[in-house]
Amino acid sequence: MVDYEVMVGNKACAVACKLARVNVAAAFPITPQTSITEYLSELYASGEMPGFEFVNCEGELPAQVIVNNAALVGARAFTCTAGPGLQYMHHPMASTAGGRCPLVMAVVHRGIKSMQPDHSDLMSQQWTGWIHLYVENAQEILDTIIMGYKIGEDARVRLPVAVGYDGYVLSYTAEPVEIPPQEMVDKFLPPYKPPRSLIYDDPEASIGRGGGFRSGDPNYAWMMHNEGALNAEEVIKEVFAEWAKLTGRKYGTGMVEEYKTEGADVVITAMGTVAGSAAAAIDKLWKDGKKVGLVKIRSFLPFPRADFQRIAKNVQAIGVFDRSLQPGMGGPSYREIKNTLYDSNVHPVVAGFVGGLSGKEVTVKNFVDLGEKTLEYAKAKKADAHPIWV
Amino acid sequence: MIEIRLHGRGGQGAVTASRIIAAAAFEDGLYSQAIPMYGTERRGAPLTAYVRIDNVRVRERELVHTPDYSICFDEFISMNQTIANSMKPGGIVLANSKFKPEELPLAGDIKIACVDATGIAIKHLGRPITNTAILGAFCKLCPEVSLKGVEKAIYKYFPGRVGDMNVAAARASYEQVTDLITAKNKEPPKQVEEIVSGGYGALKDVSGWRVFEPVIDEEKCIGCKTCWIYCPEAALEWTANNKPAMISRACKGCGVCANECPVKAIEMVRVQVKK
Ligand code: SF4
Ligand code: SF4
Repeated sequence: MVDYEVMVGNKACAVACKLARVNVAAAFPITPQTSITEYLSELYASGEMPGFEFVNCEGELPAQVIVNNAALVGARAFTCTAGPGLQYMHHPMASTAGGRCPLVMAVVHRGIKSMQPDHSDLMSQQWTGWIHLYVENAQEILDTIIMGYKIGEDARVRLPVAVGYDGYVLSYTAEPVEIPPQEMVDKFLPPYKPPRSLIYDDPEASIGRGGGFRSGDPNYAWMMHNEGALNAEEVIKEVFAEWAKLTGRKYGTGMVEEYKTEGADVVITAMGTVAGSAAAAIDKLWKDGKKVGLVKIRSFLPFPRADFQRIAKNVQAIGVFDRSLQPGMGGPSYREIKNTLYDSNVHPVVAGFVGGLSGKEVTVKNFVDLGEKTLEYAKAKKADAHPIWV
Repeated sequence: MIEIRLHGRGGQGAVTASRIIAAAAFEDGLYSQAIPMYGTERRGAPLTAYVRIDNVRVRERELVHTPDYSICFDEFISMNQTIANSMKPGGIVLANSKFKPEELPLAGDIKIACVDATGIAIKHLGRPITNTAILGAFCKLCPEVSLKGVEKAIYKYFPGRVGDMNVAAARASYEQVTDLITAKNKEPPKQVEEIVSGGYGALKDVSGWRVFEPVIDEEKCIGCKTCWIYCPEAALEWTANNKPAMISRACKGCGVCANECPVKAIEMVRVQVKK
């Protein structure tokens, strides 16, 4: 039976762990992630999750090492952290991905310069080679954590998945969430069976860490890792389509979710919670006869290249909103979209907005302005220099 | 869409109340969202929370900037214009207060109702936790949220006997809330003293945080300075005759000094609301 409950984002995350039948979780509590560890502790204590081990460990680095090793020996593993906690995990995260351990981690965004949210924490982890998904609301957290296991455990991918969502405005915000029935999730997500070798299918291989190659070419592990990350795109699309069929909840292609882009002159982009406020702004803009669509970027890594090459064909300008900035380099999704369109034969104006840093509130009004500015840039066939501060 | 702003203090349950309203609206077949806004998370510190109710899934996630309803859980904060500011025209302010609505110094294009939630909470719960004690009154003023929905939601958060007590408090406030009056003064005063809700800092005036404050008995005091060492806010200074004195703007009313004093020379006394 489908059940509903008004719950906060962090609880939706813990409920997803239960539904995914996670075997091992290890985490260190840090605001605004803390209540996930509290809910998991309660689930452990109540015995509602038979065979579940929860390690409340002494820091984020050991937490990552524990789940990394748990996944290596075949457990379905989960961890969660935020901001500086994620930075403290940086070192073993590379080994989790390099060792091809398909666990899921919730990253409850907290900026790296502030207690308040922006996307700088997860953005700073691109080189560790995980799959990075960004979600907007509590329902999407629950759905995406469950789907994260199916994506990461797929033989074509075999990579850990980070699910990022904003602290406070989502982690502590209560809203109605539909809880899918356990039997349905069990059918969708069968128990995890680790392959003998996590890198390549060799029945003779001993179970071991990602470094042990016999081929002799040190590039090999990187080549395979790169392939897995690129394969994730088709797997994400498949898994989201299957989930949509089961639950009726569709998140676009899984890579991006479009809102009122049909017939739009320009589109704006957003990731995470601010995409909700952006959608409300889109409604206002259309009401005023301003044809602005929204593209919510759900997967940042791999980046939705094919989707943007397709979308670019139908619009005169793309107003990209980034909730993080690499000083001196720019907003990450702005750079990726420009990079993507170089390989395409259509080149709409691309404007790079940056805002919401260190928890600065991004309002519906901000997105209305952003949409109007993008329309102006389309008319002028030229955007202001990046970054355009919001 | 209906937007609600809640004003309270850490420990009064304003955040739980926001979630109960959201759950109640959902019980009544509507979509909802409850966003808490944390400052310094400490009992007694002023905080705000926000609720949206709509018949479609709420997508915007900004804070509520122009509420239809403002609910205040705290008798002291109820005397501050902050709770009546930036409302939608004709918006409704529900204040926890023993006074009549026309006695509150609130101005604007607003309507005001009062309920003595502290009195109700002390009677039904034995403690001044005013969250459920004000929710009944809210249902009376807000047609979209029913008392039945609130009662169901209360049991979700407080099962069993505690739920019964809280439901009794909600029912009492539904009965006792005053009629709405229209605020006499349309223009709010130019200079509004903002209630400091976020963050520590030596420069911040936290006097508005105190529900209890230290009163020092100089006769009993032996001048040992234990209170001064333990005060987390450096809110005690020394008088000429070597006795501690509270620095009003710095003391947040935590009671650490009273707890640490070896001769019990400090008593925490309830601050009285003045008209
Ligand atoms: S109650 Fe006492 S310890 Fe606490 S801030 Fe005031 S003076 Fe300091
Ligand atoms: S701790 Fe008590 S006795 Fe010591 S100085 Fe403070 S008030 Fe006086």
